[in-house]
Amino acid sequence: MGLEGKVKKVLEKYRGRDLSFTIKDGVVFLYGQVDTYDEWIEIGLEVGKIKGVEGVVNKVVWKGFPEEKIREKEERRRKIFEENKDKTVGSYDVLIIGGGVTGTAIARELSRYKLKVAIIEKSTDIATGTTKANNGMIHSGIEAPRNTLKRRLNVKGCRMYEQWARELNFKYKMVGSVWLITPRTLEKYRKYFPGPLYTLILKYVLPYVVVLKAWLNGVPGVKVVRGSKIFELEPYAARDTLAAVYVPWTGIVEPYEVAVALAENAAKNGVEIFTNTEVVGFLKDGERVTGVVTNRGTFLCRYVVNAAGLYADEIAEMAGSPEYTIHPRRGVIVLFHKTTGSYVRHCLAEIVLPQHPRTKGGGINPTPNGNVIWGPTAVEVPDKEDVSVDPEEVQLILTKYSTILSEFPKQKLIRYFAGVRAATFTEDFVIRPAKWVPNLLHVAGIQSPGLASAPAIAEYAIEKLAEMGLELQEKPEFDPYREPIPSLRDMKPSDIEELIKKDPRWGHVVCECELVTEAEIVEAVKRGARTLDAVKRRTRAGMGECQGGRCTIKIAMIISRELGVPLSQVLKEEAPLFNGYVRGESE
Amino acid sequence: MKEIRKDVVVVGGGPSGLAATAKLAELGYDVALVESGDELGGILIQCIHDGFGTKLFGKALSGPEFAGNFIEKVRGLGTDTFLQTHVTSVERRDGHWILEAVSPKEVIKFISKAIVYATGCRERTPFEILLGGTRPAGVYTAGMVQRLVNLYGVLPGKRVLIVGGGDVGMIVARHLYLEGVEDLLVVFPEPWFVGLPRNVQQCILDFGIQFRPRTIVKEIVGKEKVKGAILVKVDENWRPIKGTEEFYPCDSVVFSVGLVPNASKLEELGADIDPRTRGPVVNEYFETTLKGVFAVGNLLTPFDYVDDAVETAFIAAEGVSKFLNNEPKREKPLPIRPGRKVRLYIPHRIEWLQGRDLTLFFRPSVEEANAKISLKLGDLEVYYTRRPYVRPSLLERIVLPRDRIGEKDGEVVLDVE
Repeated sequence: MGLEGKVKKVLEKYRGRDLSFTIKDGVVFLYGQVDTYDEWIEIGLEVGKIKGVEGVVNKVVWKGFPEEKIREKEERRRKIFEENKDKTVGSYDVLIIGGGVTGTAIARELSRYKLKVAIIEKSTDIATGTTKANNGMIHSGIEAPRNTLKRRLNVKGCRMYEQWARELNFKYKMVGSVWLITPRTLEKYRKYFPGPLYTLILKYVLPYVVVLKAWLNGVPGVKVVRGSKIFELEPYAARDTLAAVYVPWTGIVEPYEVAVALAENAAKNGVEIFTNTEVVGFLKDGERVTGVVTNRGTFLCRYVVNAAGLYADEIAEMAGSPEYTIHPRRGVIVLFHKTTGSYVRHCLAEIVLPQHPRTKGGGINPTPNGNVIWGPTAVEVPDKEDVSVDPEEVQLILTKYSTILSEFPKQKLIRYFAGVRAATFTEDFVIRPAKWVPNLLHVAGIQSPGLASAPAIAEYAIEKLAEMGLELQEKPEFDPYREPIPSLRDMKPSDIEELIKKDPRWGHVVCECELVTEAEIVEAVKRGARTLDAVKRRTRAGMGECQGGRCTIKIAMIISRELGVPLSQVLKEEAPLFNGYVRGESE
Repeated sequence: MKEIRKDVVVVGGGPSGLAATAKLAELGYDVALVESGDELGGILIQCIHDGFGTKLFGKALSGPEFAGNFIEKVRGLGTDTFLQTHVTSVERRDGHWILEAVSPKEVIKFISKAIVYATGCRERTPFEILLGGTRPAGVYTAGMVQRLVNLYGVLPGKRVLIVGGGDVGMIVARHLYLEGVEDLLVVFPEPWFVGLPRNVQQCILDFGIQFRPRTIVKEIVGKEKVKGAILVKVDENWRPIKGTEEFYPCDSVVFSVGLVPNASKLEELGADIDPRTRGPVVNEYFETTLKGVFAVGNLLTPFDYVDDAVETAFIAAEGVSKFLNNEPKREKPLPIRPGRKVRLYIPHRIEWLQGRDLTLFFRPSVEEANAKISLKLGDLEVYYTRRPYVRPSLLERIVLPRDRIGEKDGEVVLDVE
């Protein structure tokens, strides 16, 4: 059966829904109307699963589809486009849209060559989208399905992290992961395995299935662990664990720190970074893009990389090559205080099949700074910006993962947050030249394991750019190294003394929970942080147990002083922290 | 690194730390007071309202006035005070406590025989009450707002929702009212305000500030800036009543949902923590389970009156003296256990053989009229008193004469009926 027939067959299941489709170069465009958002997702995913489908553009609307909002958005873009299309900002060889970990990784990789490169980011800082609310796990590549691009780039990317961490000096620990097999693992299938058979399968069959999957995916070193060895690895793991699989190739990072490090190093090697810069349209000459129009003016360019994350589909459409629709998938993560760090040594998960529909795996991870995180969940949401947290989801995490570590002090929860994954309906990475715009490269659908794959994604993207005609001439002055902001937490007293002699602000502790000094905050501002949250991501100020209760004002005052703006104009991320002055004072 | 040898280092220059320092200096000890902030006085500096010192001085002082009394005293005694000095590490070595601290001037190593921790408490965050929704600009804690308005002249917003019916919430509501906030609403899950009755009258009722009992915030709404909150009514068990959700538009939400002792550093040091108070486990002189490390004030449990917090500092100073003089302790400490209707209490054990009468603070777990408060040692009732009314929001104080216990063994049980 041809592609057409297969798509038709899927849509037949939704009789009475008034659906139609067209196919162009392997991309399926769906039209019509369905009742619910869930149906919209379901149809997209089913079509996306069909072999040979290279992308699904889901133009179907559901009841309650925010038509008005979309029209407003388009009008707003059109207006900004008209105002800015004739203003030129500059001329670039490669323009990267999106300052997440993908965009910054590609930028840094491109900065090795004699090229003029810029990143444009709509937010006030880099790493404010999917990248900032990620659990920071560098997956080994076992989980990724075979025959996918994400499997290939994941397995390769995770092994490139050590070098990245060495050059870029971000915190990275290769902690390995431990997957527990417990009586709950195949609970749903228990009825098929009577009596002792169930335990036998869990103990002696399932672990080797995982090892086989690892071997097929190209992940070495995976071992089956049983008995007391399990608790030597993880002393607090569930007592009823029957067997465990140990995976050495798993690392942990702070994802925003990786992106910041990449951006800093890219900038050092000549990449220009424009924040508060939103793409509203493209200038084209025939099929080719000649310029990207933003609220700042037009960036003329020879090549465009679409690394816009959640907005990649909108960028693709604006550029004239709509090949996929992003369906946002939100995940909630719960963060615990540093005093819980001793409870977890590896990335720890309990294998439960089939996966819970709202968590799809997930687990308990240590972080490079000694905290512990639980999660994430996985919930389809219609709104790309919906980072709200439903307390029931937090409860779900707290209940579900309790079986892994029953003694864990859950009352030490200090924060939870939601991030949104940029999933496409084909559920694989989409890294390829645009089908209908010859100088546009898609780097879209970068959901998990996107962070783990980032180094390989960057390399792969550059191969693609070369294939598209970009000439890569190495730059002898390329410097791969980036120095982190020194941190009081990690210093010896003698080093602190030296620094204090040079600048007393090294001895002025501003954030007491995380031990962050005024000098660190000033340095973060110097390196480009413009907001409270940007400072937080670079220094950890405000990330401790009081969640900024004590230091927010102090940090805001330092930012205000360093940037020369009134306290009432200091931003949290996008909006001012405070309303204004009392009785109109000091204005 | 500069080395400073002291009999005692007091960590924290708020009211309790100041009181402990003054008392220790009066007793003749060589004390260092280490404060991480820019000035002494702690949280009182931002508490410009009155009501402090009614027990201790017999009049209602403002926070800075109350603190001022102790600051002058400490200065008058010529005690070494270290401002902007943050203790970064503490360890026990060769029978001494070694505290490393940084300040904009230097790195200091204090070598001390005893430590008095007076690090106070912090505000509970919205996360600790499992609040839903987003985290935009415009979400504050009450203490942050107090600091903003009183010290920096910055108003957080124009339409403010205050969450929590305790003293701090009420006091902040009044301040915001006086500073010209247009819409002000206080919500809390209890049937009535839980703070001191005088605050209900003077902060809320006198100004006609709007409030809704049995109401909680379910969700914050707004992506970048607060647009409002979803309020929901709750039943007597604080469970949301379905169908009563209501969107309340506002530009700021201020949380005043309780205080938690700042005990993490003590916990990291190895001190036992009481899950009820979330502060350290202490003996009758407020010595923690670490030898020669005392804890005072709101670090033990948040007090309703600063006067009571300061009393713990005075008692602890006597304890430090007993510790430094190697006064004899009981062979086995006499534990104090909670009986009926006790939510939390301090201290947790009686350790010294001789000494002053025992001052005990506790919160009942329920409201009770004509309550009988008793202490039993085995079958023997060693103390009892009656109060016309007790409730969880009021911290009770009782004093047990030491001779009623003597050298007896067993355990002391605190009971409310």
